[in-house]
Amino acid sequence: MLPKRFDQARPFATLGAVLLAWILVPLAVKSFARVSFFELQAPFIAAAAYVRDLQEFWALRLHPKDELIKAGHEIAGVIAQYEFSQQELESLRAENVRLQNLLNLPPQPAFRYERARVARRDLSGWWQRLIIRKGANYGLVVGSPVVFAGGVVGRVSEVYGYTAVVDLITSPTFRLAASVEGDARPICYQGGLNDSFKAPRGTVEYVPTDIYASPTSPRLLLTSGLGGVFPTGLRIGRIVRLETSTDGLFQSGEVRVDERLVSLTEVTVLVPLETEDL
Amino acid sequence: MSNIVETHSARKPRIFFFYFLLGAMLLTLAGGLVFRQLFRSTLYSERERLQNQRRVIVPGPRGNIYDRNGQLIVTNQPRFSVTLNLGELGGEFDRETGKVAANYRSLDRSERPSYAEMTRLARVAVVQRYLDQTNTILGRNNQVDSRILDRHFAQTRLLPFVLLDNLTPQEYARLIERLPVRSPLQVYALSNRFYPYASAAAHALGYVTTNTDPPVEDFPGEDLMTFKMKGTEGRAGLEARYDEHLQGVAGGAIYRVDPAGFRVDLPLQKRLPEKGHNIITSLDIDLQVAAEQAMENRVGACVALEVKTGEVLVLVSKPDYNLNDFVPRLSTETARQIEESGAWFNRAIQGQYPPGSTFKLITTLAGLRSGAIDPHQSRTECPGYLMVGNRRFTCHRHSGHGERDLVGAIRDSCNVFFYTFGLEVGPQLIATEARRFGYGHPTGIELPAEFRNPVVPDPAWRLRVRNETWNRGDTANVAIGQGDLLVSPMQVACFMASFARGETETKPTLLHIADRPPLHTTPIGLSRDDYNTMVEGLEQCAQIGTAKFANVEGLRVAAKTGTAQKGRIELAWTIAYAPIENPQIAVAVVLEGSEEDTNFGGGVFAAPVVQTVLQAWRDGHLKPKVSGVTGR
Repeated sequence: MLPKRFDQARPFATLGAVLLAWILVPLAVKSFARVSFFELQAPFIAAAAYVRDLQEFWALRLHPKDELIKAGHEIAGVIAQYEFSQQELESLRAENVRLQNLLNLPPQPAFRYERARVARRDLSGWWQRLIIRKGANYGLVVGSPVVFAGGVVGRVSEVYGYTAVVDLITSPTFRLAASVEGDARPICYQGGLNDSFKAPRGTVEYVPTDIYASPTSPRLLLTSGLGGVFPTGLRIGRIVRLETSTDGLFQSGEVRVDERLVSLTEVTVLVPLETEDL
Repeated sequence: MSNIVETHSARKPRIFFFYFLLGAMLLTLAGGLVFRQLFRSTLYSERERLQNQRRVIVPGPRGNIYDRNGQLIVTNQPRFSVTLNLGELGGEFDRETGKVAANYRSLDRSERPSYAEMTRLARVAVVQRYLDQTNTILGRNNQVDSRILDRHFAQTRLLPFVLLDNLTPQEYARLIERLPVRSPLQVYALSNRFYPYASAAAHALGYVTTNTDPPVEDFPGEDLMTFKMKGTEGRAGLEARYDEHLQGVAGGAIYRVDPAGFRVDLPLQKRLPEKGHNIITSLDIDLQVAAEQAMENRVGACVALEVKTGEVLVLVSKPDYNLNDFVPRLSTETARQIEESGAWFNRAIQGQYPPGSTFKLITTLAGLRSGAIDPHQSRTECPGYLMVGNRRFTCHRHSGHGERDLVGAIRDSCNVFFYTFGLEVGPQLIATEARRFGYGHPTGIELPAEFRNPVVPDPAWRLRVRNETWNRGDTANVAIGQGDLLVSPMQVACFMASFARGETETKPTLLHIADRPPLHTTPIGLSRDDYNTMVEGLEQCAQIGTAKFANVEGLRVAAKTGTAQKGRIELAWTIAYAPIENPQIAVAVVLEGSEEDTNFGGGVFAAPVVQTVLQAWRDGHLKPKVSGVTGR
């Protein structure tokens, strides 16, 4: 029989031994274990999301029929409007392609659109990442741009079998080449440190000194398309403040991004047709 | 069985000895510790600081230069580069060295490279790996230059290592979108001098060169090992003259480093660099460009001054050079081309030219002030030459001008008139008059290397310098601006501005002050009638005389042409001011020519340049002015 003192210390000794073993485990095994753990969670994350969708469905079913019919009519109107806009866009797109060919511009990356429901969003990293309910099973690839009605959502940073992690535009690790509306010069947009549920913000750097923006006359910030990952003209946010750096070369400032990002339920992943576009 | 009983006594003398010994040793240790902690700690902490801290200095960007109307003529332009922070790669270098060493393990010890060589190979491999990341993104195929990497590693390890320089906006955009935010690879913006007007006012503005030891003010850690990023230093023109003013305030950081010299933690101290002060020059860039275009590819100079203040509106010296060629550094080939064309030379302030017939105004002034010339009575009959002793001094019109009074002599630039009255006035008075107008000394403009020894010859000068006596022929030559007279275009422009104000001195300046008080110097010393007669001669010269190609519609112009020779080079001069009723701009143009069978006269070649400048001034002088001299 072990001495009593040793017996009391057994949990600590075990913990120490496990930690030591984990430290000594090769990096590949650790990485595999981490991915496997995430994959193991995936069904639960997806199931929870489906349950949430079901809840929403039943909540909607509780509405009176008249209200639902009225909403259906409104949606039909919106769809008609969108169809008309789409036709217009098609002709504009054709014109755009013609002009690009005329100017010998390099082709813009081509994408396939994959809609995905938001499966989970952690409170601790609300403005940094979210998990969507599609992954490698729908051909998503790391680096794919993710958008919603208000513009850029972020970029796919990890892809698993049935889920994918999106690095949000508000995350400090997110950076892209942007441009101010009406100005072709590329500037650098980067996410910032954002508190959960507060108005999301980002930062811009390397802004030319002849561009002006203030809270009363904010400037629209769009994707430049020059980086080769995001297509041109997607909305990022509005520059509300600019300050000239001490060296006088550039300005840096604050960008207010779309507040609808706080309650995202569905996003669209732009899956590139050519993977080298990422 | 015997009972062995161990006894112990703490009072045994031998034990005491060991107690004492132990006590003494502990006391020595404690004493040493106390001594080092209390008395040597400052010394040790200072040594530790010097050994483990490094200072990195980042020079501040230079200030901008504006023209008098607020147009930006010199600024800074960002140049994007991809840099690699070697300071973050210590671990990677060690691991790679291990791999390199493993690769060589099978070889005999004598055949293996040294450890230093293996670390060098490892370093190149790691840096190449990072470079390949950018190559993949940009579709390039760049290779690491191991010599540059070695030098950087040995000398400036804490500074970012530039992998790719001068990125296009597209490349910059691709990199910021595709490189991970937290990576030793970063896109970095360097400040480059940029001259939007390229070669315009090249000699006035000057250029900068790389300075490996930029000045540092009030940044702590002077005694620490310091790494300085390259700065710039003005080497010519205003960039050199106001280098201190334009230089930004250097920023930097102090880092703690490990024994291998790699950075540890965030900086202990940090200060951002600040931009230097701006300068508003007196130059009018539109006038400057107009003058340069009018001069085409001819060799020569053009100076225009604001009459009331002496502010330099135009300063052209041709040939010139593109100031952007100096950024980031001047290539050997371009330097050779500049050298061969003679473009380094600032003809406007360094050129030494005989002033030709423009000097006749000085002779006239000397004559009027001494009474030798009467504005209404003095006349000569010009047969096309004048005999001085047995030497024949010709007029530029060989058939002769006929009878000419002062107005006609100025209008037609009749040499015989000025030979005659120059001889009457005498060399001393002419020289004195020339010196009154500043011909004997530099103008003092704020540019380096102004021509320091202008020559206004008189008998004493000739005896002192050449050990020769003065004769009447020398006086005749000087009277028409030939002989040993040497002046710069800037001096001639100053004379014209002074004359236009009715005064004797103009101190030119390249700095613009919106409310600069007008110059007031010694009056010219002529009666109103004498002065008006001279002005009438100059106005007629511009209207129907030798300077008629300098005339501008809607502007009353006073002008005088000149032609001179310097060795085999012909010089075409024209000087002018306008408007006569309220003089505001004075111009001097000299062009060098060596075409055979061409009468290289000032009225034909230099006067049109003056005309262009005056036209441009007339068209633009109502522009609103910018106030203030300097500011960040």
